[in-house]
Amino acid sequence: MSNDVTTIGKRSSTSSNQNVSRWFKKNNHGNRLLTLVLFLPPALLLFTIFVILPIGEAGYYSLFRWNGYGEPSQWVEFSNYVRLFKHGAFDTAVWNTFKIILISLVIQLPLALIIALSIYKKSWANSLFRLIFFLPYILAEVAAGLIWRFVFDGDYGVMAKFTEALNTDTWYILADKNWAFVAILVVLVWKYFGFHMMIYIAALQGVPKDLIEASKLDGASRFQAIWYVKIPLIMSGITISIFFSILGALQTFDLIMPLTGGGPSNSTHTLVSYLYTFGITRMNVGFGSAVGVVLFICCVIFAFTYQSTIMKDKK
Amino acid sequence: MASVEFKHVEKVYSGDVHTVKDFNLKINDGEFIVFLGPSGCGKSTTLRMLAGLEDISGGEILINNKVVNELEPIERDIAMVFQSYALYPHMSVYQNIAFALKLAGMSKADIDEKVRPVADMLQLTPLLDRKPKALSGGQRQRVAMGRAMVRTPEVFLFDEPLSNLDAKLRNSMRAEIKALHKKMKKTTIYVTHDQVEAMTLADRIVILRDGKVEQVGTPREIYHSPANKFVAGFIGSPAMNFIPVALNKQEGWQVDLAGQTLPLLGDVDDHQSSANATLGIRPCDIHITPDLLSNPLVIKGKVENLELLGSTIQLTSRLGESQITVEAPSSHIVNEDDEANFYIDESRLHMFNDQSGLSIYKPKGKPESVVSQ
Amino acid sequence: MLAMRRISWGKYIFLILVAGFVLVPMFATVLGGFKSLGELRTNPFGLPVVWEFEYYAQVFADGSIWLLMKNSLIIAFFSVLLTIIIGTMTAFTFSHIKFAGYKYIYNYFLIGMMFPAAAAILPLFLKIRDLGLLDSLSGVVIPQVAFGLGFSILLFRTFFEQLPAELFDAARVDGCSYIKFYWHVILPLSTPILATVGVFVLVASWNNYLLPLLVLNTEQQYPWTLGIMQYRGEYGIEWNRILAYVTVTISPAIVFFLFAQKYIVEGLTGGAVKG
Repeated sequence: MSNDVTTIGKRSSTSSNQNVSRWFKKNNHGNRLLTLVLFLPPALLLFTIFVILPIGEAGYYSLFRWNGYGEPSQWVEFSNYVRLFKHGAFDTAVWNTFKIILISLVIQLPLALIIALSIYKKSWANSLFRLIFFLPYILAEVAAGLIWRFVFDGDYGVMAKFTEALNTDTWYILADKNWAFVAILVVLVWKYFGFHMMIYIAALQGVPKDLIEASKLDGASRFQAIWYVKIPLIMSGITISIFFSILGALQTFDLIMPLTGGGPSNSTHTLVSYLYTFGITRMNVGFGSAVGVVLFICCVIFAFTYQSTIMKDKK
Repeated sequence: MASVEFKHVEKVYSGDVHTVKDFNLKINDGEFIVFLGPSGCGKSTTLRMLAGLEDISGGEILINNKVVNELEPIERDIAMVFQSYALYPHMSVYQNIAFALKLAGMSKADIDEKVRPVADMLQLTPLLDRKPKALSGGQRQRVAMGRAMVRTPEVFLFDEPLSNLDAKLRNSMRAEIKALHKKMKKTTIYVTHDQVEAMTLADRIVILRDGKVEQVGTPREIYHSPANKFVAGFIGSPAMNFIPVALNKQEGWQVDLAGQTLPLLGDVDDHQSSANATLGIRPCDIHITPDLLSNPLVIKGKVENLELLGSTIQLTSRLGESQITVEAPSSHIVNEDDEANFYIDESRLHMFNDQSGLSIYKPKGKPESVVSQ
Repeated sequence: MLAMRRISWGKYIFLILVAGFVLVPMFATVLGGFKSLGELRTNPFGLPVVWEFEYYAQVFADGSIWLLMKNSLIIAFFSVLLTIIIGTMTAFTFSHIKFAGYKYIYNYFLIGMMFPAAAAILPLFLKIRDLGLLDSLSGVVIPQVAFGLGFSILLFRTFFEQLPAELFDAARVDGCSYIKFYWHVILPLSTPILATVGVFVLVASWNNYLLPLLVLNTEQQYPWTLGIMQYRGEYGIEWNRILAYVTVTISPAIVFFLFAQKYIVEGLTGGAVKG
């Protein structure tokens, strides 16, 4: 009896071994499986460890009060979030981030589109303009921030000339609670409109010429040709540029530090600079993680709604 | 020296798409075989299974009596010419031809010794340093062939190699392929949807439809004795006329057609016969004759449409309910709306069973036997 | 006709105004480094009356700037190299191996493009610390590569899938395994997309501020973005020195841009257009 059982066991195990080796042989043509085992894990590991895991951990740590040493032990439930939403500076940071989005949509992107429409055709003058307008985008944010800090300096830069001309007191705009963020918005437009312009130019150059010619034959005016033909045809470029400008707005940080560092009195923080100032520099892991989670949720909600509504037609 | 054999070969894609069904074929050494069929018939899939580019879902493929199902393409001793040529764009002509040899670990000198004669044979020597981008369509085609030839494989595979060329080049490349095969005498399998290529190149043609073999035979057999209605209609241009008829047996077999009775002189397969059948006759086997004959095989009809094609004319008329096409030498003087007499060459008649589509008629004095699968 | 001409004049005036908005701060920066503080105060935008070279000279004086540049270059070089190697390998498994369930894993990578690195920056910092990578260049390189993967895999895969499928068949018949095909055919044919992704990663890494700020503590390891902020901290409002420093540190990027415009524009916007 026991003999029988072992033989059956043996037989089934050898046949399953055979199945495995047959499956392996069939799927490993050209070392397919071997290549997979070699090629996939590096990226998978890196990505999981440094991108995905930290997000999960941020959610977990945000429920603790913790300075980052030892194990997180002081469980505080949602009090980090409560503190966060009660903090005036956080409100300002959210509001400022929202202002960046608004200015992007209302000023920056239309400006980029108008410029793209006027210089998308190939000529040396247009290439030169394109080059100039794109230049700020390749500068590092910290360098751009310092340049503009000089421009806005009440003693030296534009503001000095401006107040001199008006014969008023020197005005330190970056130290002015009411105006500092407006100055930052100017820099943002300066830095990024060229990027969006390039997206539109690439899209406009892909619009077939005969379509525009056909619209002219149909009697469309310049403006009508733009409104009814060109803009609908570059809609996918516009959708993408809106997507990038909003995601970019949500993570503005590098530019804030050299310009104001979030001051005066925390009036120019964005979500990320707030996170840096109140989470990282003070090693408030729990509190900082809570800010991160809010930021993450904003991004995910935005990305998913945008993709499932506006970008849906594209695919 | 290589034979190729397919035994009950099947190809099923996930989701029950049965692309090749029970494919059986034995190919002799040195034979030139053409797989012919409409797109989606499974001809390319079969070729790719032989090449090792697709898994074989069932059955066995043998090269030189050795099962190759599990072998890598390189171990099967085959070479292949692709429809798009698939030349490596970043390599020169020389590197393209030499690539397989390089992968095999051959020394530079040995590679050179093999590449040069092949390039000479294909008149590629002056082009060896060029990139594929700088070549004409015909030159690319020759590089693709050179790449296959340099390995001196046992079996050559061609997957629609001429379909990207213009008509003129296609004719000359076809002749070149034929000449090369004559010279090298290697077993060759050639996939095409172009019946002219199939008829001119093949020792034997395999006609496929929906993953199944419809007929295997020499070009002559396929043309003159199609095994079924599909083959009859697929081969020949303009296509064979099909006319539904009533078939009955009195003293001998006869059919009723357009109010006339046509006697059949050949043999009808009694087992396959039925009262309703389809009569098939090629446009070139209907002749225009003067009025004087009163023969049961002469039928009157009105010329509805006439096209002059050069050496021939093509006209359409009506026999009873069915429209027919007739091809005649252009020396005939007929006009549209004329009444004409059509003589049907009885020895060239075909008859097909309406249910199975199989050929059920063998005219008298026809030497080739029908090979059906 | 007259209306057309007026539009065209208006257009150029508008373009020149915008160009002024873009360029004046930059010229002021370059020229500012040649001015004394007193002159900078009275004449922030014009040409210097007296050309002073000591501020530029001082930028190079202690040689620390070369170390900053070298660190930035090392970080950027390895970020580009690793992103290209790992990214192409992974994209190749999606485009040609197509293993069961590959779509899920592909989408998993794409998630990474949707949120900023900053959201999980604290846990990331702890991770880097716990792995012992703090205060080392690899502590900047590795997370940077990880965050660039989603984007580069997307671009690589799209490109690989547009290569003719018969190329792979031909290579198989010629005796290529998957790895040999990747090495002998895919990589050499992908130079345009390698350049696009490479430039993107290069620029992002060269300009990165937050991650080095977090990871690096010793000045010997600093990239130039940290160096410039430190310099500014040291000299406060001595704007002529700072502007000289800014000019020196941004000039490599501008020179590079002028030489490799086509690839840079492609690299920075190409992803947007192609994705």
